[in-house]
Amino acid sequence: MMLRILSSEFLKIRKKLIWLLVAAGPIGVVALQAVNYGVRYDYLVAGKETAKLWSGLIGNVSMLALPALMVGLALVASMTAGIEHQMNAWKLTLALPVRKRQVFAGKFLLTALLLLISCTLLVPLTVALGLALGFDGPIPYGDLLTNAYYPYLAAMPFIALQAWLSVTMANQTLPLTIGIVGMIVSMFAGGRFPDWVPYKWPQLVNASHEPLYSVTAGVALGLVVFVAGMAEFVRKDVK
Amino acid sequence: MEMSANQELILETNELTKKLGGKPVVKAVNMQIRRGDIYGFLGPNGAGKTTTIRMLLGLAKPTAGSIRIFGKDIRKMRLAILRKVGSLVEYPSYYGHLTATENLEAVRRLLGVPKSRIDEVLSIVRLTKEAKRPVRGFSLGMKQRLGIATALLGDPELLVLDEPTNGLDPAGIQEIRELIKSLPQTSGVTILISSHLLSEVEQMATRVGIISKGELIYEDSIHRLREQAQGRVRLGVSNPESAWRLLLSHGYPVGWENGRLTVAKADDRTVASIVARLVKQDFEVYRVEEETASLESIFLQMTGTEGSL
Repeated sequence: MMLRILSSEFLKIRKKLIWLLVAAGPIGVVALQAVNYGVRYDYLVAGKETAKLWSGLIGNVSMLALPALMVGLALVASMTAGIEHQMNAWKLTLALPVRKRQVFAGKFLLTALLLLISCTLLVPLTVALGLALGFDGPIPYGDLLTNAYYPYLAAMPFIALQAWLSVTMANQTLPLTIGIVGMIVSMFAGGRFPDWVPYKWPQLVNASHEPLYSVTAGVALGLVVFVAGMAEFVRKDVK
Repeated sequence: MEMSANQELILETNELTKKLGGKPVVKAVNMQIRRGDIYGFLGPNGAGKTTTIRMLLGLAKPTAGSIRIFGKDIRKMRLAILRKVGSLVEYPSYYGHLTATENLEAVRRLLGVPKSRIDEVLSIVRLTKEAKRPVRGFSLGMKQRLGIATALLGDPELLVLDEPTNGLDPAGIQEIRELIKSLPQTSGVTILISSHLLSEVEQMATRVGIISKGELIYEDSIHRLREQAQGRVRLGVSNPESAWRLLLSHGYPVGWENGRLTVAKADDRTVASIVARLVKQDFEVYRVEEETASLESIFLQMTGTEGSL
């Protein structure tokens, strides 16, 4: 049943701007770094060893990718839910023989999968930029992948929160405000907040220097938020 | 066609109640729909029709009371029930950027019915030619027809249509009406159709339920409602006052109004014998006319509202 719901969800976003956003996020991030490296080529590249060049590039891309992910997840969640809000199609879907919690899970999964696509795109785009800048091998795929997916997993509480807010509220002002404020908070979360603050997790910074702690905490809290959102959605009458 | 009492109940509510913000909007509604009915669910705007229908579809939870559809409790067997129910609630829901076919496909994937159903329902609502156009550009009537097509997609045994003609022009209303009338013959489906206009359902409904201020104040066959609507007979005669006295003295239930005699709920035989009596007593009978109260006025009387009609 979940597969059927997802296939229906993907059909519904056909020809939607959402796809543009999914692609534009990572492309924008890498394009900005392309400009950065273009302007400051001598400072950033000249005379450095290959490993340093790649790790420098990955770090720079991540620095921009994080706020893009934090605001992107609010936008994507709002757009996927908006498809139903726009023409008040919730009553259409929920009067069908489907479980309400599966409908909610479908929206969350759609949002999460679209963001996963965005994060995945970062990898080939970063590699392309590195090669274009003349970095030679070996390409550190391990680092590339962890930098693409760890922040994504650590941001899971926010994906779940935005999916919840956007699905249950017809007016998207509040969800989007919370999402944008969240992005700003997360940008400054690094050194200032204690480790337990979720806004710090996507940066993968913690006292034990173990990124996987941030990832684990993110996935765990994400699950909790998802279940809480689903419970509220199931309980509420459909507008 | 008179309904026999032993016909299978498809839908039954028991003291169904819904409070919104502490205010009851549906009060202890006992509704019964039998297999094959076209049930006209009538009431002024804001009487509780849509709230009731939302509860029937499991979209809203009753504050009190219960709903049984196909003999099953909606709270316990919502999915099994909804598998055999097609619905269109208020204005149609659709995805404007998708074509009619894609809209139906989005629902079909959830229902798991064969792809061929899409073409079938499109042809039932006569949208085959428009199937490849984005729904955004559809007229309201076409969107409404698409809504009905969506409702039919799962080949339902019970079709719930909430105000399907709302906002349509007369031609659109006529078209939807013909479409709905043709359904039970083609698919043997039971239909619940709500409206705030009696005239809209009177030509297709076999039974009607009238809801006003949250209460179901009438539920019976349309036939019975028509009987109630049967007017009185007015007689124009010479020397009406003594004619009136004469008839009263013979035990006829005649009234006196503006110089005319009136006979309420008169059957043919009573009218004939009144006329014969009058003629025999040398009264001149100028006219015998039927004054039919319209269904609409009965409806108005029952619901006690005029504004919304």
